[in-house]
Amino acid sequence: MVNNNSILKILKNRELLIVAILLVIFFSLTSDRFMSTSNISNVLMNISVSGILALGLALVMINGDFDLSFASALGLLNLITLIFVDKGINVWIMFAFAIVGGILWGSFNAILVVRLRMHAFVATIATWTMCRGFIYWINGGKTFYGDYPDFMTVIGRGTILGFIPISSIIFIAAAIIIFLLANRSKFGRYIYAVGSNPDAAEYVGINSNRIRFTSYMLQGLLIGLSAVILSSKLTSAPATAGDGFQMTVIASAFLGATVFKPGLVNIGGSILGIFLLSIIENGLIMLGVPFYFKFIVQGLIIIGAVAFISLKNTRSEGPAIV
Amino acid sequence: MATKEIIMSTKGLNKSFGATHAVVNLNINIEKGDIMGLVGENGAGKSTLIKILGGEHTVDSGQIIFQNKKISWHSSAEALKKGIAIVHQHPLLVSSLGAAENIFLGKEFSQGFFVDNIKAFEETKKLIQQYPIYKDLDIEKPVNEMSAGEKEVVEILKALSYEPEILILDEPTASLPKDETETLLKLLTELNKKRNITIIYISHKLEEAFEICNKITVMRNGKNIGTLTSENFNKDKLVKMMINQDISEFYPDKSTKSGKILLEANHLNSKILRDVSINVREGEILGLYGLMGAGMTELVESIYGLRHLQKGEIKMGNKRIEKPHVDMMIRNGVFLIPADRHQFGLFPSFTVSENITIAHLFSLFQEFLLIRSKENQAAIKQAKRVNLKYADINQSIKELSGGNQQKAIVARWLLKECGILIVDDPTVGIDIGAKRDIYRILRDLTSRNKGIIFISSEINEIIGMADRIYTMRRGKITAELSKTEINQENILKNIL
Repeated sequence: MVNNNSILKILKNRELLIVAILLVIFFSLTSDRFMSTSNISNVLMNISVSGILALGLALVMINGDFDLSFASALGLLNLITLIFVDKGINVWIMFAFAIVGGILWGSFNAILVVRLRMHAFVATIATWTMCRGFIYWINGGKTFYGDYPDFMTVIGRGTILGFIPISSIIFIAAAIIIFLLANRSKFGRYIYAVGSNPDAAEYVGINSNRIRFTSYMLQGLLIGLSAVILSSKLTSAPATAGDGFQMTVIASAFLGATVFKPGLVNIGGSILGIFLLSIIENGLIMLGVPFYFKFIVQGLIIIGAVAFISLKNTRSEGPAIV
Repeated sequence: MATKEIIMSTKGLNKSFGATHAVVNLNINIEKGDIMGLVGENGAGKSTLIKILGGEHTVDSGQIIFQNKKISWHSSAEALKKGIAIVHQHPLLVSSLGAAENIFLGKEFSQGFFVDNIKAFEETKKLIQQYPIYKDLDIEKPVNEMSAGEKEVVEILKALSYEPEILILDEPTASLPKDETETLLKLLTELNKKRNITIIYISHKLEEAFEICNKITVMRNGKNIGTLTSENFNKDKLVKMMINQDISEFYPDKSTKSGKILLEANHLNSKILRDVSINVREGEILGLYGLMGAGMTELVESIYGLRHLQKGEIKMGNKRIEKPHVDMMIRNGVFLIPADRHQFGLFPSFTVSENITIAHLFSLFQEFLLIRSKENQAAIKQAKRVNLKYADINQSIKELSGGNQQKAIVARWLLKECGILIVDDPTVGIDIGAKRDIYRILRDLTSRNKGIIFISSEINEIIGMADRIYTMRRGKITAELSKTEINQENILKNIL
């Protein structure tokens, strides 16, 4: 009995983890290539870009804000970085520029949402569209190719021991830092506090606007970091670069909100969510399912996750004993 | 005396939420045509009981008999259809819609494909004529522009539009000013007499219950403790049944000395405040009293740095503060417990422990990463001090009753030694036991030379607690009453 209970306790609020494990088992049984080292490292490389984006989105969503512009911001930073490296500017300077540019991008969103009090959804739809427009304008809608020093691809394509991608190590480091920041640091507690009740936050001396602004800047930094990896990996800039990550990352936040802290977007959940979504995406490809099914699956996952959260929330209203 | 017909009764009702037994083996009888009061401390199980009767909760065991039939509702809609309507404590209205649209929300009249609002208006007018209490209620005015009393009336009209047999009201007057409360009580008596609607009336305000009920049932720890009929109404007896002890000393002794001035506010001017000057001393409870909207909340929130001051300065000792802001005032030892705990106090997604530690994370915990066990330890210590009832310090704050949520917020501000504690109407909607705990804590602070600024919406409470009172009217201080001058007459003279 005691054993059963403790197992149940461990499984509680970790439904997603179990699904992830079951899926891995399913895909590895049905596809020979799924568990191959080349495929694993391919999946890991993809996750490093989308995963870092997911960390950033989770931060602003914990605050009660939102962002739709990150994917096109990533595309723009990728393009600018590659153009200037092609023109002979030092790679590392341009990587630093990408990160600073990301922070500026986050600040721009924050000015609209926090200072000008625009609805986050509306404001970032606008910045998203604008940004994509800039990309088309700069390179006429074509894919940009250029000349790059060989070492530039180390971050995006390099591996350690032949199968652990360097980009994954960057992602894991970022994930650990952001996880500790959100869940264990005082700043992180403030982010959750502002998301939980911004008015009450003011009464305990938390400057809600500053916290929200900082979260957008942190998200920007993470977008910049993902742009570093992406440009180093692609060394080309299609006009649609970054688009493919948008729905995966948004879905990861909602999926993540079903675990650990049910009903709340949280870092651990988002990390798990992005893994799960990427595994599904990759697994479907390995099974030979046409690529567009991924969109249907993502849509269904968002619907399922949000339905799960709202059902769980109404059920756990708990005893309102007066 | 002919016995009345029993319209509804329960037998051996049980309902638990996890480890909390909200309702225990409960038997009650509701007689047709009664106005039955239901009283008890927070957490006594009153809300759970009415939610069971109204189909919002299912029972673990036991029977409900309604009009001689055993029933088990599947939803609140079903209970409503069969004749049981609940008016909740916090009106559940759509704030951008008007009275008529709210009343007929979910049962709109239609004209082909479209909603027939004209019919809804007409039906609402009919309802208002039928129950003539708020004849001049503007039914097109959006709910968010209505007074608390008007909202309550809309909520009641909404319930009445279902023509219920039993109308259940959960603390309908909790947020109403006095005049609106009286109107509402008159309405309920009238409804009961003219329409023969059975009413179950939950309230913490015993005087109100005495005024309109013909019997009062007391609940404690989920059990039915007993019923008093109107000829036996007696406050002391009732309170004793509720808290299982005498109320010999309801308010603690006042302080005998007051020390040096801790904080001085001089010539404060803002949108609402007009040249307000006050001071608060060591070891005293300074009361602020006035009618709703007279500016007490604005005054303390201006001092606390939450509101913009056009003119004026604040002095603490030798320190002059021109532009206060919350973070700075907290560092100076000035803490504030706001009036509306749901809107301004609680972090609903946080645990009890996280709610207690949130205000002092940076000053109390030096580590870069928080250590949960250390945090919990600090929270538990303060939880004990305020006599907080909880199952687990890491449980969600939402699971606590209203009184205990408020105590958790008080505990939040005890975590660090304060200089001045500002409490804005801290006992609204909480039970007698919790009230006494809060009074005791405040007195405990003054005995250790802290200064308290105390705002209350209840004149008896301010008389019972304050050592000195400033009365306010339309943003101005109208009088300063010393301990010997504090009485009802002096206060009323200066606030009206």
